[in-house]
Amino acid sequence: MEMIFRGAEAVVEIIEWQDSSAISKVRNKRSYRHPDLEKRLVTERLRSESRVIERLLSEGILVPALYEVNIEKSQIIMEFIDGITLEKGLRTDKFHEYLVSSAKILSQIHSSGVVHGDPTTSNFMISDDIYAIDFGLSTFNDDAESRASDLRVFLESLEAHHSEISGREIFLEAYSEWESSKEVLEALEVLELRGRYNLMRG
Amino acid sequence: MSEIILGIESTAHTAGVGIIDSEGKILSNQRSMYIPEEGGIHPREAARHHSDKFPVLFEKAFEEANLSPSDISLVSYARGPGLGPCLRTGATAARAFAYTHDIPLIGVNHCVAHLEIGLLEGATDPVLLYLSGANTQVIAYASEKYRVFGETIDIGIGNGLDKFAREAGMGFPGGPKIEKLAEGPELLDLPYSVKGMDMAFSGLMTAAKSKLDSGHPIETVTYSLQENAFAMSCEVAERALAHTGKTELVLGGGVACNERLREMATIMAEERGVKCFIPSKDLCVDNGVMIGWLGYQMVSAGYSITEEDNKVHQKYRTDMVEVTWR
Repeated sequence: MEMIFRGAEAVVEIIEWQDSSAISKVRNKRSYRHPDLEKRLVTERLRSESRVIERLLSEGILVPALYEVNIEKSQIIMEFIDGITLEKGLRTDKFHEYLVSSAKILSQIHSSGVVHGDPTTSNFMISDDIYAIDFGLSTFNDDAESRASDLRVFLESLEAHHSEISGREIFLEAYSEWESSKEVLEALEVLELRGRYNLMRG
Repeated sequence: MSEIILGIESTAHTAGVGIIDSEGKILSNQRSMYIPEEGGIHPREAARHHSDKFPVLFEKAFEEANLSPSDISLVSYARGPGLGPCLRTGATAARAFAYTHDIPLIGVNHCVAHLEIGLLEGATDPVLLYLSGANTQVIAYASEKYRVFGETIDIGIGNGLDKFAREAGMGFPGGPKIEKLAEGPELLDLPYSVKGMDMAFSGLMTAAKSKLDSGHPIETVTYSLQENAFAMSCEVAERALAHTGKTELVLGGGVACNERLREMATIMAEERGVKCFIPSKDLCVDNGVMIGWLGYQMVSAGYSITEEDNKVHQKYRTDMVEVTWR
């Protein structure tokens, strides 16, 4: 068993599953929460995550296949994508191609009625193709502002980790090829002007 | 020789005068809270309360500290954020005192003061879970600023609790009354609204009120309300800890006096393997001591006071402060 990540949300490991490698994601237990509330949240969030993955798979979008959901153990088992993260991929000379593919997959996710919630450059995997991963914060949502906030999360992580490449234009241009992108890009402009914070709040 | 700092707080309900020395020793912490006869806070009435109480608070503070005004080497007051009339009353008191006794005057950010008082407890670079009436934020230091990593997107947690308490006929302040009534272990299904690192409380308060209206016992409703509101706050703080990689948690704000919240934060910190610093209750609520302490931190690190620092700022956000003293 190989530990990949121990985060605020979950422990992610590579496990053996039916004779091949798979990803196990177990949501952390929070004993500070009332046991009934904890159970309700784990169930809600597991269901939502697996529904999102199922929707994306059914639309033919490249995301890990869902193998098993175990509510008792608060565990999801899914396909292991053997490759490197986009964060690493962008440090190679194929960064242009990778940015275009990730913009395309994000526009497909949006087009299928899902907002990813946390599309940083660590949440795309490159193997034979580019896959989007980690739908722990995803929601079914088709408003322009939520989609725009996905774009901003991506652009912010691009800026934070890859200030040396001018990826913003490449990414946005590729995203704008999606027919419904106009409204989202306008919402992004508003969002960026306003900043994270709205001064009307105290 | 240690210096003596006078701190003045008046951002909302509380008029506070604190005296602290440069070693962090608290010499006096005088407070008086405005309690509206009915309804919520009325800014001008609160300001009137503060201007009535300040002379007595000053007198008591000097008496307790056994000092005279000439012992003070710095006056620090809260510039904001807060209610305009209340802020101006505190600023006027601070200015009058400083000018009369020819002492330097500095205006500081109230929210940052809640965090920095946690440093007095032993924290060095914490994530602050700051829960008060109007403010509900998760704050931490990152590249020259205190940044807000998560916050409420509608109402402050304390204002929400007060509103529920008022509608349930409990009076003000609502938080302590809710805490007293709350009795488990039965938990009602109420909204739990965390989106990324942001949270929302108004739906939760409305749902709690309708549970009460539909005949659920007040003990169960208040218990469930606390369980949800505090778990949401702790979850956001937990995410900020994971995101920033920091290993210390500090609680601040009036709502941080709640024992159940303190317990939840302690358990969360333990599970994550981070240290939890919980200031005493009279330092969690609004107080002059933290204002004095922050003013001293800034000045002793060479912060030069400008004309701007002499003006109150109602919407003085945490991340507007240029942190030059750390």
